[in-house]
Amino acid sequence: MDEPPVLELRGITKEFPGVLANDHVDFDLRRGEVHALLGENGAGKSTLMSILYGLYTPDSGEILMNGKPVAIRSPKNAIELGIGMVHQHFMLIPVMTVTENIVLANEPVYAAVLLDESAAEKRVAEVARTFNFAVDPHARIQDITVGQQQRVEIMKALYCNADVVILDEPTAVLTPQEAAELFEILRTLKREGISIIFITHKLNEVLEIADRITVLRRGKKVETIPRIGATEAGLARAMVGREVLLRVDKKPAQPGEPLLEIEDLSVHDDRGLEAVRGVTFDVRAAEIVGIAGVDGNGQSELIDALTGLRKAAGGKISVGGQDLTHASARQALDAGMGHIPEDRQRRGLVLDFNLAENLALHDYGKEPFSRFGWMNPRRWLRWASGLLSEFDVRGGGPATRGGSLSGGNQQKVVVAREVSRDPSVLVAAQPTRGLDVGAIEFVHRRLVEQRDAGKAVLLVSLELEEIMSLSDRILVLYEGRIVAEFTPEVSEEEVGIAMLGGGRKEDAAA
Amino acid sequence: MNAVPAQPPWLPTTRQIAIGGIVLGLFAFWLTIPPVSARSPWWPVFAGLCAIAAGIWAVTRDVRRPGWGAIAAGLVGIALGLLSTRASVSNLDQVVVWSALLSSTLVWATPLTFAAIGGMFCERSGVVNIGLEGMMLAGAFFGALGADKFNSWEMGLVCAAIAGGGFALVHAVMAIHLRADQIVSGTAINFLALGVTGYFFIQIYGENGTPGNLPRIPDVNIGFLGSVFGHLSLMIWLSFVLLIVAHITLFKTAIGLRIRSVGEHPRAADTVGISVYGTRYAAVVLSGMLAALGGAYLSIGYLGSFSENMTAGRGFIALAAVIFGNWRPFGAFAAALLFGGSTALSFRLAQPWGNASVLFQALPYVLTLIAVAGVIGRSVPPAAAGRPYVKQ
Repeated sequence: MDEPPVLELRGITKEFPGVLANDHVDFDLRRGEVHALLGENGAGKSTLMSILYGLYTPDSGEILMNGKPVAIRSPKNAIELGIGMVHQHFMLIPVMTVTENIVLANEPVYAAVLLDESAAEKRVAEVARTFNFAVDPHARIQDITVGQQQRVEIMKALYCNADVVILDEPTAVLTPQEAAELFEILRTLKREGISIIFITHKLNEVLEIADRITVLRRGKKVETIPRIGATEAGLARAMVGREVLLRVDKKPAQPGEPLLEIEDLSVHDDRGLEAVRGVTFDVRAAEIVGIAGVDGNGQSELIDALTGLRKAAGGKISVGGQDLTHASARQALDAGMGHIPEDRQRRGLVLDFNLAENLALHDYGKEPFSRFGWMNPRRWLRWASGLLSEFDVRGGGPATRGGSLSGGNQQKVVVAREVSRDPSVLVAAQPTRGLDVGAIEFVHRRLVEQRDAGKAVLLVSLELEEIMSLSDRILVLYEGRIVAEFTPEVSEEEVGIAMLGGGRKEDAAA
Repeated sequence: MNAVPAQPPWLPTTRQIAIGGIVLGLFAFWLTIPPVSARSPWWPVFAGLCAIAAGIWAVTRDVRRPGWGAIAAGLVGIALGLLSTRASVSNLDQVVVWSALLSSTLVWATPLTFAAIGGMFCERSGVVNIGLEGMMLAGAFFGALGADKFNSWEMGLVCAAIAGGGFALVHAVMAIHLRADQIVSGTAINFLALGVTGYFFIQIYGENGTPGNLPRIPDVNIGFLGSVFGHLSLMIWLSFVLLIVAHITLFKTAIGLRIRSVGEHPRAADTVGISVYGTRYAAVVLSGMLAALGGAYLSIGYLGSFSENMTAGRGFIALAAVIFGNWRPFGAFAAALLFGGSTALSFRLAQPWGNASVLFQALPYVLTLIAVAGVIGRSVPPAAAGRPYVKQ
């Protein structure tokens, strides 16, 4: 291949106070390929891409485009050189239209200053047609789905004639269906000669879409390999630096008495519509029950009702025989409910509190955290440091602010708090969302441990694989109803069909 | 299961009925003043009760905000209506002279319009400017000073704009680069302007005040409009031009799109190469200059003199107009007209009623309370207003 790579990074080094984020990293991108950048959280992927996009300046190293060295000092430079970036947290303005967001900073004008709306719409429509995107150019960003928003982000890059597109963890916010659509779009882009850098820590995605894979670990490049011949196990080892158990190792369940019982429960969503419609199930001691389903089928409302964060509209919830239907969150906790919430940053932790305070968040008012109504923060610190080492939380001590930890370590703190309270029922909502393989393995192991200790574990997840590998029983939630129940021996296809409404029970016919 | 009962399209919605109730409440008052001048107290009571009934009907159907608004408008309409039916017709005729009221409304609205449009640009770029009051005051004083020293009103306006821009620049540095709390910084500007103008006023003019022959901004008469409004100050005509230019700039130009993007999501603007800091500096300084021109209109346009703290809270009212007007030029202008109109009315009421008219001066604020409480619809501020931007 004589053609120089579209983009080449040589010996990129970037040091932040106390951290060597990138240590002589080499990376190259060929025309029309998808090059995956794989690594755990904090491995230096985002730093490397921020350097490429002009958000950081490297301490040393050089960037070449089509064989010529270039200097990228700002995102504007990067855009001019044909580099577009799709950020993990979308850079879109919710109140503006799709067209306005796409043309922003490169607006077609007439009479020197006036916005040429029809030209803008025409060019946006042109991009949409070339790459086969279905997005309404007049819609406001706040009214379209997350998947569509991501397409707008990609169109923003294409509108500026980018031939290198960086996607930062693009599937983290997508449902499996939307992710499949995204991959289809990426294949179209490839055909049009656009080169793609795909940042992720999900191994199955890498194997599905990438042509070549570069693995980073603690700021250093481990290897660059072609997809052909790569295996999940091999990539995981390269990422983490040790053998990783991708399959959860567990003994068959020996369930006991039902601990969590739910009878004909219905719950309304924020708009007052019925989101959970008469659900009945139980979770027994020493059993993991997994609830599978496509996002938005009532999972969040169900969890909120169980944990006392939302009023039940009807039915009954009881934990160990105690009626918790109208309980507050506090009463639910005191009755032995543990809750690993869906969103660790908004619900799991108080980001501005330190880890000791976060760990004492439920029981601050009880012995031994308080005595005679006086809190005893020194005791918290001592107790917290024990817990943090037990749960292998890295990146900070008891006095570290919660918000400064990486996502994986934040989740470990949440798990540590919930598990250490010794709950009889543990509700885990998407416990591994956005985590890397090492942290996923950790969380999974802890959940199985809880089961083996005789707790009832309710796992709600959008990741079918996670449900399949952890659960002792699988329930499928579709449009607020449980439409199917499976044993773990079932095939993924069968569960997948039920998730789309083709279940076994009588509702399925509709 | 969740189907809404079907409604024939020709029937008004509950919301429309509630808004009709609000209008009816205002109508109750209007009936009693010239030219209708209904003398029987039953007319306003009847209209007001209808308004209240419409409001109650809407509230019971869960259209709460407009419903309560209609009830409030009905009560206010009855109260004001009864008051004016008790007044003598001659008094009313003296107060309610529509053409005089209209031009007086424009006079009082103009300084507010300038400041409010300035404040709107500022907030649209993501910086809250509570210092409008101080910038107006600076404009009023330095406008008078410039007009006096250079003996020309044009130089007065230039000096006012420079002074207002200068104070705004201080606010911009504090709010943008130093990331100070924007409310605190703006309040500091207000006190600073009060002190600076007060000090120089005493130093330069002492006991005598500004000279009586201060050059004034001229009145102009434009074609047939002049025959409706009479002679109006140049600044009033300029405020109309400003209004249209501001609207076009904000919503029809690339510059406006960029300003709005910086105020909604500065990081998104930054990642596509728009200078967040540059845009915000420009918007804040512009707001200071416009506020100062509004202030200069008070000193060298309308009154022809300067006195200490002569803006007397108009900057804050302009800020309320920005919010009330939903961060839009025409909205802000309408709010400024409302405030200007009620000020004009309260001044005219002072003639027959004397001290009791002080009560009427509360009218604009009562209206603001009703409006800001969301009767007309929630106003949505720019998402990043008041939040300093930290570059990555």
